[in-house]
Amino acid sequence: MSDNQLQTSSSPLPKRRSTVPFSMAQQIEFTRKELRETLRDRRTIVTLLVMPLLLYPLIGFVLRMVAFQTSSDSKVEYRLAVETEREARWFSDAIQFGDRTIITSSTSDVEPEIQFFLPNDNDEFDLESLVAESAVDLGVRVKFAGSINGNQRATVELYENERSLQSRDAGDYVERRLAAANIELIKNRARQTGQSLSIPIEQTREQIKPEEKSSAILVLMPLVLLLMTVTGGVYPAIDLTAGERERNTMETLMALPVPRFRLLAAKYVAVVAVTMLTGLMNLLAMSLTLYALQLDKLLLGEGGFTIALAAKLFLALSAFALFYSAVLLLLTSSARSFKEAQAYLIPLLLLSIAPGLAIMIPGWKLVGGAAAIPLVNILLLSRELLEGTVQGLPAAVAIISTVLYGASALSLAARVFGNDAVAVGSRGRWHEFLQRPKESSPLPTLSSTVCTLALLFPLYFIASGVLARGEAQPSVRMVMSAVMTVGLFIGVPMMLLGWQKVSFMRGIGLTPAAWPYWVAAVLFGLATWPWVFEIVVYAHGFGIRGIDPDKIKNVESLLAGWKQVPLWLMVLCLGILPGVCEEAFFRGFLFNGLKRGLNAAATIAISAIAFGLFHVVLSGGAAPERLLPSTLMGVLLGWLTWRCGSSIPAMILHAIHNSTLLIVVQSRDLLAEWNIGQIEQQHLPAWWLAISAAVLLVGAGTIRFLPQRPVTADDST
Amino acid sequence: MILGLLTPTSGDAKILGCHVSNNPLQTKRLIGLVSASAGLYQWLTPRELLHYFAVGFGLSEEQATQRTHDLSHRMGIEQYLDRRCATLSTGQSQRVNLARTLVHDPPVVLLDEPTRGLDVVGSKVVIDFVAQLRESNKAVIVCTHQLEEAERFCDRFGLLYRGKLKHEGTLAELKQETGHPSLVEIFLRLMDDKSAKADELIERKQGLDDE
Repeated sequence: MSDNQLQTSSSPLPKRRSTVPFSMAQQIEFTRKELRETLRDRRTIVTLLVMPLLLYPLIGFVLRMVAFQTSSDSKVEYRLAVETEREARWFSDAIQFGDRTIITSSTSDVEPEIQFFLPNDNDEFDLESLVAESAVDLGVRVKFAGSINGNQRATVELYENERSLQSRDAGDYVERRLAAANIELIKNRARQTGQSLSIPIEQTREQIKPEEKSSAILVLMPLVLLLMTVTGGVYPAIDLTAGERERNTMETLMALPVPRFRLLAAKYVAVVAVTMLTGLMNLLAMSLTLYALQLDKLLLGEGGFTIALAAKLFLALSAFALFYSAVLLLLTSSARSFKEAQAYLIPLLLLSIAPGLAIMIPGWKLVGGAAAIPLVNILLLSRELLEGTVQGLPAAVAIISTVLYGASALSLAARVFGNDAVAVGSRGRWHEFLQRPKESSPLPTLSSTVCTLALLFPLYFIASGVLARGEAQPSVRMVMSAVMTVGLFIGVPMMLLGWQKVSFMRGIGLTPAAWPYWVAAVLFGLATWPWVFEIVVYAHGFGIRGIDPDKIKNVESLLAGWKQVPLWLMVLCLGILPGVCEEAFFRGFLFNGLKRGLNAAATIAISAIAFGLFHVVLSGGAAPERLLPSTLMGVLLGWLTWRCGSSIPAMILHAIHNSTLLIVVQSRDLLAEWNIGQIEQQHLPAWWLAISAAVLLVGAGTIRFLPQRPVTADDST
Repeated sequence: MILGLLTPTSGDAKILGCHVSNNPLQTKRLIGLVSASAGLYQWLTPRELLHYFAVGFGLSEEQATQRTHDLSHRMGIEQYLDRRCATLSTGQSQRVNLARTLVHDPPVVLLDEPTRGLDVVGSKVVIDFVAQLRESNKAVIVCTHQLEEAERFCDRFGLLYRGKLKHEGTLAELKQETGHPSLVEIFLRLMDDKSAKADELIERKQGLDDE
């Protein structure tokens, strides 16, 4: 159709850029609609409220029954048939005598109760048949044969049922006591006759409590908790995506002048909200059940179920909800009907059970690579929370990686969501992700960069962990670390950019920048380290430190090892290369992907937080005190990059910053001469900070008054 | 395709100077879409639904409330404004849907087979709606297979055949150009001319209605 026919007489609107300003009020309205849609639906409420209230008491009762079964097992009762009362009395005495000599060495054996069955006057009483009929556990016949030194001599015949475990246990029980009594009697007799008699083999037996109280129930509980939490999200996820299509509301939704990922974000918030509500309900129902049925102490030990434990579990569940909701939306967004969505989700649910069974392997702990395996890490984390054996670093890695996986699943979902809005010419299937784009594009896509971030995090964690274990020379280790940094932060984005047909130089932001930015970068690079240093010292002051005092020696020896390495190599491997490579990734690749879909604030904030999180797991150890300074540093670097449109100044800044910090640490001896000893603990002199602040202000002023690089059209498409 | 929901293999559309291909969001803002198959959100009330779309099209909270009020009055849906959409009859849903189309006061309204599957009363609602739009100086684009119906309420016509616009003009112009008395005839002849394999047809007729 030709242009002029669509023109109306009304004055044409001024041509505007296609990006819509982000409106929070609008986003809230979107989310409110999704929540209304979901929460008014009775089916959601059923899975949300009714299911946990029914399920946990049910599981609780079963557990209680099992628990009582085991505890009543320990209160054993042996039924013994004896032919005469005299025999019974003698036998009982003998057993008790034997028991007294045994009991000293056995600590936790619960005493079984012994019942004697004696014949009534007229009844036929045959020991063998009573045992064979399982009427009693053991038949006992005592044949008396005179006495020795005032003690009755006797022969005891025991009859046990060969099929019954209980009967054999009773036999063992009696035999052990009679043997003990015999030994004791022999000892007594030897003492009486003045002979020295020593028993050839003396034995004691003690039962020691196992170190891990990992019962099957403790493993099962997180699995049940997670699976139940997930079921809460399944229905809303289907309803809000495939449901839109099935009810023919997708077309009108897609007609809204709003980027798709914002519509999806609203749905995501709704699904996460319902999932977390379900999680909370489940947690509540679980703890109430444990409390009401008095199972908490039995399963969790002395402490029982505390509010702190519940809060920790809820945190783990929330991270899981963030991740799983994104995966659910990714699957359901590509489905065109409820039926199709369910067909996608059933395999996912079954897949979720598999790692749950895998973590029942008792030795599997939340360490190393396991902390980065999706699903498994959260299951292990919940189990260790219940067992009380959780450690900081793997827990942080588990939560961070889970959230990152969620983010990448969500960014992929945003690409599929709404693609089939029109019934005809259906496109936008899954395999589109795996198809190489036909045309080259100036910048990487948002989803691909977020996915790369999610991939890099575990890789980085594992690689730096492997590196930290190595026994290599400090210089070799340094070079290896440099190679790893280049491989991860340059190599991985390079492959992806090549595949997406994006120019490598542009993709990582290697574009020219005006020279004043370079000057500002140098100023910042020189002046930031005292502040970063101060924040770390303050964090230590507040008790936030990753390296515990035991390990400080390792760090000391590491630093001592560094002294043997030439300074230039150290600055190159730990200062310049990481600076350049990390910037190429965080302020180049990731930044460019993020800014395609987000505004300045969000792009800078997300890249900075990702940057901060990476520094927490630096060199295989947790360093929570670095989160704040690194994130702030990321904000500064992001701001600089946004202003000048190139990642080069950020690289200069970062490389100079790293190198200065290294040189400062390396010249500790020199500093000590200047009366700045114990550099790790002590604050820097105020005038240092003042100079640094002044230089920072000059740098910031330079950037502030420079004209901002205009955003070119291809940056935002 | 005009809404940017599908990517064209070639060509482009322009609405009020706005290119669909490089400015999809801005174009969406200029168009109101009516589709026969469009559903309503079953758990929302018409008031919430209209408010949602109004805000979605960029109106402020107060504007959205005001607009919902005005439109419900104009479309006669005030009585059931606070009932759940699931409980509405077909005709009532139809009116809510039409109200939804106008929530952002678009200069162009796109109707995709608006009378498909509707009874006489339902069709009447749509035809009255189009008349109303004409009076308020809006451009209306109707896609339909009901060629006779199109003849009744459209001014200009475009015949789409196999994804290409074959003929375009007023009814008189088309008659003159092809020498056939009605749209149906013109279209059938088009099919005979261009293709013997009628079973593969992707037939589309497009009527253009200038104010």
